[in-house]
Amino acid sequence: MSVSFDRLRGPLIALLSLAAGAALWQYLGTTIPKTEFVGFTATISSLWDLITNGELFTALKESMEVFAIGLAISFVIGFFGGLLMARLPRLRIALEPYVAAFYAMPGVALIPFILALFGFLVKAKVIVVVLFGIWPILINTLEGARSVNPELLEVAKSYRSNERRLWLHVIIPYTLPYAMTGVRQSIARCLVGMIAAEFLLSSSGLGDLIIRNTERFQTGNVLATVLVIMILATILIGIGRALENYFARWRAGE
Amino acid sequence: MTAVTVRMPRTRELSPRWEVFMLRLGAGLVLLGLWEGLVTWLSPSYITRPSGIARVFWEVVSNRSTPLTQLSGSFWFDVQTTLVAVFEGLAIGVTLGVIVGLAMGRLATVEWALKYYVGALFAMPVIAILPLMTLWFGYTSTARLWIVVIGAFLPVALNVYEGVRKLPVTYLEVARTYHARWWNVWFGIALPASLPYLLAGLRLAAGRALVAAVVAEYLLAIKGLGFFIRSDTQSFHQNQAMVAVIMLALIGIAINTTIDAATRHFLPWFRREGR
Repeated sequence: MSVSFDRLRGPLIALLSLAAGAALWQYLGTTIPKTEFVGFTATISSLWDLITNGELFTALKESMEVFAIGLAISFVIGFFGGLLMARLPRLRIALEPYVAAFYAMPGVALIPFILALFGFLVKAKVIVVVLFGIWPILINTLEGARSVNPELLEVAKSYRSNERRLWLHVIIPYTLPYAMTGVRQSIARCLVGMIAAEFLLSSSGLGDLIIRNTERFQTGNVLATVLVIMILATILIGIGRALENYFARWRAGE
Repeated sequence: MTAVTVRMPRTRELSPRWEVFMLRLGAGLVLLGLWEGLVTWLSPSYITRPSGIARVFWEVVSNRSTPLTQLSGSFWFDVQTTLVAVFEGLAIGVTLGVIVGLAMGRLATVEWALKYYVGALFAMPVIAILPLMTLWFGYTSTARLWIVVIGAFLPVALNVYEGVRKLPVTYLEVARTYHARWWNVWFGIALPASLPYLLAGLRLAAGRALVAAVVAEYLLAIKGLGFFIRSDTQSFHQNQAMVAVIMLALIGIAINTTIDAATRHFLPWFRREGR
């Protein structure tokens, strides 16, 4: 009896805490002016309105398009760039400080320049997302490809593997789990890039939904959109984590 | 003494360092050359390029105000404003993050009550709530402070929480044997033991704080490097704005290098894992 209660205690507290959060939200909605904050039920009804009039769906589609294309391009460039840098030590040594610099700098600072170069096209937003997302993938891939167990390479060579097979059967499979760690980190950064691009370039998608409703003091819609972004981000990062864990099984044998 | 010692030529010992330096310098020059060439070839003259940045660099960093910089104050004033905002927010956010992280790691009730909130907020791009902050605090530096605090708080809280959870049981058993008080366990054992996680969280927090501050300045038009970049790019002074970007990059790199150096110095056994 006490064992089963102990196991239930945690989730129960979590539920209670979420309920308390919703209650507090609802209460604050009654005391704070509507232009600044609205209650939980009002937010949910705003959310329902956004769903039924199709605005949310359109915004989600626009945002996810930018996000997905950006992440895909980040992966392709980051992964192959990382492999290339691992294969050519001189290239790696030459570029390493610049990669680190781009990774460390706040990429948002470059958005105005991208605006001037590419204007208000979808392309500009994708470039911003790539600028945010590419570095973790590149760095993790590079680290993975450099850490390939030398014994594996020796065995492959002693079986007269040629360069192509060596890459296809040893180095790339070995590196993928690392790249997936990069993808997981990159997902969070791409989301930041996506929202920043939607705020600072031509507004579109979820970012536009927030800005537009903030300007009109439709606080319920703002809160509903933030809630959607939170759920979306949690799901996407969950997918990233699942991918990472799936590929991490390959690493377990080493 | 029959053994023959093969002596490497001296240049062999000297070359790697020298070679690395030359390679990097060369790569930098190639990148700058590509940038200069492509922009000159393809873009209108107001687009930023290395030669243009070099031309205005001293003017900007010597704080001589052009008609435009009067709008936003002067360069070093903006640097200072942004840095103060970032470090203020970091100080508050990290302190709160450490306390909440410790509480979540040590107390099951707090853990379950908060972990979904902290997890969901951590996943979300913090700048998404910036417009909400403007509804609450107006277009002010208070809104910027809050967004920086939130950006700094979440990664630290989550990392410290994870670090405390991985605390070796033996530490706690020893503590119990010696009748350690709870504050001894929290701040004397759990906190130092989770220091690597704290530093990893701090690295993330600093990056997020910097991004949050810059976006807030840009979007809310409040003084700082973000606004410096905005007003200069919007008035076709991209080269001046690029100096501010370079400054931001240097700040980002400096913070990362400091934290990495601290990790290596204080925790030489710890290899940072990707997070």
